[in-house]
Amino acid sequence: MTAARLTDPVAAELIKLRTLPALWIALAVAVTANTALGAIAATDVIRLAGDGGPTGIEGAGALMLAPVYAYLAIAVFAAGTEYRNGQLRLSLAAVPGRARFLAAKLLAILVVSLLAAVPVLIPNLVLRGDLGDLGRYLAAYLLLALTGYGFAFAARTVVTPIAVLAAVPILVSTTLGGLWPTVVRVLPHEAALSLVGMPADPATALSPAAGLLVLTGWATVSVTIGGVLVARRDV
Amino acid sequence: MIEFKGVTKRYGAKTAVDAVTFAVRPGRVTGFLGPNGAGKSTSLRVLLGLDHATSGEALIAGKRYRDLTFPLRTVGALLDGAGPVPDRRGADHLAWIARSNRIPRSRVGEVLEAVGLTDAARQRTGRYSLGMRQRLGIATALLGDPEVLILDEPVNGLDPDGIRWIRSFLRGYAGRGRTVLLSSHLMTEMADTADDVVVIANGRIVADGALADITEGHPSLEDAFFALTGAASKQVWS
Ligand SMILES: Nc1ncnc2c1ncn2[C@@H]1O[C@H](COP(=O)(O)OP(=O)(O)OP(=O)(O)O)[C@@H](O)[C@H]1O
Ligand SMILES: [Mg+2]
Repeated sequence: MTAARLTDPVAAELIKLRTLPALWIALAVAVTANTALGAIAATDVIRLAGDGGPTGIEGAGALMLAPVYAYLAIAVFAAGTEYRNGQLRLSLAAVPGRARFLAAKLLAILVVSLLAAVPVLIPNLVLRGDLGDLGRYLAAYLLLALTGYGFAFAARTVVTPIAVLAAVPILVSTTLGGLWPTVVRVLPHEAALSLVGMPADPATALSPAAGLLVLTGWATVSVTIGGVLVARRDV
Repeated sequence: MIEFKGVTKRYGAKTAVDAVTFAVRPGRVTGFLGPNGAGKSTSLRVLLGLDHATSGEALIAGKRYRDLTFPLRTVGALLDGAGPVPDRRGADHLAWIARSNRIPRSRVGEVLEAVGLTDAARQRTGRYSLGMRQRLGIATALLGDPEVLILDEPVNGLDPDGIRWIRSFLRGYAGRGRTVLLSSHLMTEMADTADDVVVIANGRIVADGALADITEGHPSLEDAFFALTGAASKQVWS
């Protein structure tokens, strides 16, 4: 598969992404939320009650990572809308080689996610004086987005991946974190927290390197399963 | 030239299409007729490589659809259940499809004009009426100015003006030596449009030939249709 054969379908996918309003809304929400969180953390105007007295919100990793779920909606929409009104039939009529279609779409969503990460992450990190951590955040954001992307292809919908990815950290992690820390710490959300150095709890902490590895595993498995299903299924 | 060669498609235990064999010639309009659930849409999805045939193969100009480079420049298709995402504007919908096959952007305006949607180009397709969505689908099929047109129930939702337009358009298209295959569940719809008809019932081809030959000996087109598809229709209605 030569690069030239990907130019046209990648350009088409970029038009698809650019002309989907939901995507711009997700981006606006992610930028606004993350910038606001950065400002709050920087000025320390809000403090959270904790065991050792009030702490700055910077200590609340789960909250600081919340905007990623608006951000990953971009990738989830890209995949999930293929199943709205049967768009996938049009996509595959236009680009019938399924490996080629999948490669082009993945490339387009990587480009767009990378571009979108700039306004989502930079103001937040600058406000917090943490720009040195950009690499870790970028990795966490992109890998979570890819996890949602593959999931949306497998589930053939937009709602399930976002609901599952965002609800698991709230429901499962809080209740099971103490019971099965070894399981909970390898869930995508916890692995991402470990990767950016803000584990919710020492019990569910991994080293940043291990967090990166686990999260890369989730993204790889998810994108692979989604891709294999699209390649094999009738549409 | 379109060829179905012994195409069978099963969904689990259900045989939707059973050893379907027929050819569609250029320069003629071919009607693909059959009652609801006969297997028309399934056959067309197999032809476009969207559904995998259980056995047999379907070819366009001697090639599998997926082996065509820039397929939309050879084959234009309006398929059932293949519509635009409602949040996107009509022109943007056509723009990405055109780009995928390196079709000049100028074609978007041309096909919108051809189907009478110029004024709706900047509207989100979710706001389109049923007939407007159908027109957009036809515009999509025409984007690549293809040699082969495949339209699944193209007149669904069209008003009388639209129906008359698509009929004369398709006659003209075939008149220029191109291949036109259109499906319908109404024999009468084909009367003024088709030269040839292929009739499918319960997944099997029950008649294939010139329209005049197929309807010969029957008091009306409708009678011919019921006679040919009788068993299948009774199953549905009784
Ligand atoms: N994905 C699928 N899974 C299971 N059964 C299917 C699937 N697609 C079609 N079928 C079945 O195959 C048969 C043929 O369906 P198809 O849609 O091809 O008919 P059709 O001739 O296009 O009918 P209509 O005139 O109503 O459009 C039907 O019995 C249908 O229920
Ligand atoms: Mg049908």
